[in-house]
Amino acid sequence: MINIEYYLVLSAAIFCIGVYGVLARRNAILILMSIELMLQAVNINLIAFSTYLIPKGELEEHLGFIFAIFVITIAAAEVGLALGIILRLYRNRASVNVDEVNLMKW
Amino acid sequence: MFPADLYLLMPELALAGMAIIVILADLVLKRRDLLAPLSLIGLAVPVALSIVLWLKLDSIDPHALSGFSGFFVVDYFSLFFKFLILGATALVIMASRESVTRFSRFQGEYYALIMMASGGMMLMAAATELVSIYVALELSALSTVALIALLKNSRSIEASMKFLILSAISSAVMLYGMALVFGLTGSTRLLDIADRLTSVSELIDQPALLLGVIFIITGFGFKISSVPFQMWVPDVYEGAPTPVAAYLSVASKAAGFAVIIRVFFLAFGSLTDEWALLFAVLAAVSMFIGNLVAIAQKNIKRMLGYSTIAHAGFIMVGLAAIGREGELLGPGVESILFYLVAYAATNLGAFIAVIAISSKINSELIDDYAGVARRNPFLAFALAVSLVSLMGLPPTAGFWAKLNVFNAAIETDLVWLALIGMINSVISAYFYLRVIKTMYLSPPASEERITADLPLKAALAIAVIGLLFIGIVPGFVMDVVETAVGTLA
Amino acid sequence: MLADYGYIGIYLLLATLIPVSMLLIPWALSFVGVKPHNPTPVKLETYESGMRTIGGSWIRFNFRYYYFALLFVIFDVEVVFLFPWAVYLDKLKLFGLIEMGIFILILMVGYAYAWRKKALEWS
Repeated sequence: MINIEYYLVLSAAIFCIGVYGVLARRNAILILMSIELMLQAVNINLIAFSTYLIPKGELEEHLGFIFAIFVITIAAAEVGLALGIILRLYRNRASVNVDEVNLMKW
Repeated sequence: MFPADLYLLMPELALAGMAIIVILADLVLKRRDLLAPLSLIGLAVPVALSIVLWLKLDSIDPHALSGFSGFFVVDYFSLFFKFLILGATALVIMASRESVTRFSRFQGEYYALIMMASGGMMLMAAATELVSIYVALELSALSTVALIALLKNSRSIEASMKFLILSAISSAVMLYGMALVFGLTGSTRLLDIADRLTSVSELIDQPALLLGVIFIITGFGFKISSVPFQMWVPDVYEGAPTPVAAYLSVASKAAGFAVIIRVFFLAFGSLTDEWALLFAVLAAVSMFIGNLVAIAQKNIKRMLGYSTIAHAGFIMVGLAAIGREGELLGPGVESILFYLVAYAATNLGAFIAVIAISSKINSELIDDYAGVARRNPFLAFALAVSLVSLMGLPPTAGFWAKLNVFNAAIETDLVWLALIGMINSVISAYFYLRVIKTMYLSPPASEERITADLPLKAALAIAVIGLLFIGIVPGFVMDVVETAVGTLA
Repeated sequence: MLADYGYIGIYLLLATLIPVSMLLIPWALSFVGVKPHNPTPVKLETYESGMRTIGGSWIRFNFRYYYFALLFVIFDVEVVFLFPWAVYLDKLKLFGLIEMGIFILILMVGYAYAWRKKALEWS
């Protein structure tokens, strides 16, 4: 039997990888991918909770899944917007390196 | 079952519908100058619908209508924020007629996006459930990202990039917190979460719950630009089109505080020991960082950006000032709502004046504001009054706002926090007064008059009269605020 | 329970066996001389539906592909809402149908916007 703990550990691990990627990477696209990892970790959590902890037949039975669907779609919108901005950034600056995005400081 | 609830959502639906109409009109119409009046009419519809809902609330007993199986509520609190956000949006649209011409190809998008962002913020204030809170939050955040990028020059793209990445990170962290809370309590509805937390006593001691709460603070802290999540503020204010910065500083902050009040006072009311102190510390740090760094600024928009961080700190004093056992919704929450109204009038006044002056003198440096008083006395006076109100001196709205917040802190034994707040008010006087001094005492670079168009002047006049009105007769707003907080429980 | 794992084990075994044998059989056959071995440069060329290819496949491609990809991703993912809706349509009845109609209409506005703003054109 696979317990819920496995999913929670998996999700926590993916989330931490995502956080590491956000902090360590300098390429805007890779940062976006890391953020995506964080969101997927959340989805694993939501679905695991919904499957294991919510008793069948309750109103909340599918809440976790619905939440996950919203997270997926909003993440897609976010990525669409982000890629649009990164394209623009590349046109302006010929680089997508966040270290070089530093016209404004303090 | 569902259609019966739809009328509760009418203001938001009307606003979204009007935003779509504006986009379509932009595709079809040749005359771009019709878009601003069209969007103002678009804002009038939700205002009217909100008034209808307010009158309806008067006639029923618990003064709150919950819809969509508890995902959404219409009460005085949410309607209060609807009026505040719609009012701020209307003033920003009035003031942006000239700035909009700078993004010639995207005028329709500007108005539509600002309306969608308002729709998201109105939903934020009315949502009583984590999924809808998240969707509302992202609706406003993503619209704002696009708004910041509209200028399409390097600075604006850079600002929107920074805003987007930080917003995405903070909302991912917040979601993780929400998932933990959902897993522990088995519900995403705020009232159910509160029920579970009080009925199942071992939940309170769960470290995972505390982690979830702290993660949720991350997401909201980003919205209100409180300290550890404030890095985006100055850059976005400098890079974004000025009306967007004005809008962001007022509406986004108001909606953020509305969500915080709902989530923390309704769902996590039994955890006050954990988060009240956290908010107190964040408030103190925000005030210091905002005010001290603002002193060093040369660009007025950046200065206002740091000032907005400091004001987030002042408002958070109200969050920390929760009553002792049993009276959670005490003077603290009322002082927050009052502060938000006062801050909306004040900061919009300051920003609208900056829009008018900076677009004419083509500079955002404080030094270039020299002698503006002689080039246009009205604009200089309005900016000066707004800055005095930001300082918190009578007879302006800012004075009563700060007084209320500090009073609430003292009443709930947070004298140290109130003291820090007062020290910070004194620090802030330095950089606000410097701008006034430059405008009135320094010799102007040229004698050419600074002109502004009529809608902008009207918006500016409304903001300034509003802040003076609140400053002279604070009782009126205080009554409204008391009604709004009254229905919250 | 254990039997379920057994099936997975058999599946794993088969999943490794088939590709390994597909590699091993030609290798073994090459000793008997059944497998022909005549490498020509044509075999390494980029395949393009039988047309004669021009240049390599590692080229910079047009920026505009990204815009199409972006539009595709957004419209594609929004469709995810259709799945739960389709499953529960019998319970949602007419209201659900109308509501999804409005949802698709809003997506259509986005599509019309992209079209009108010439995001779908190759210029």
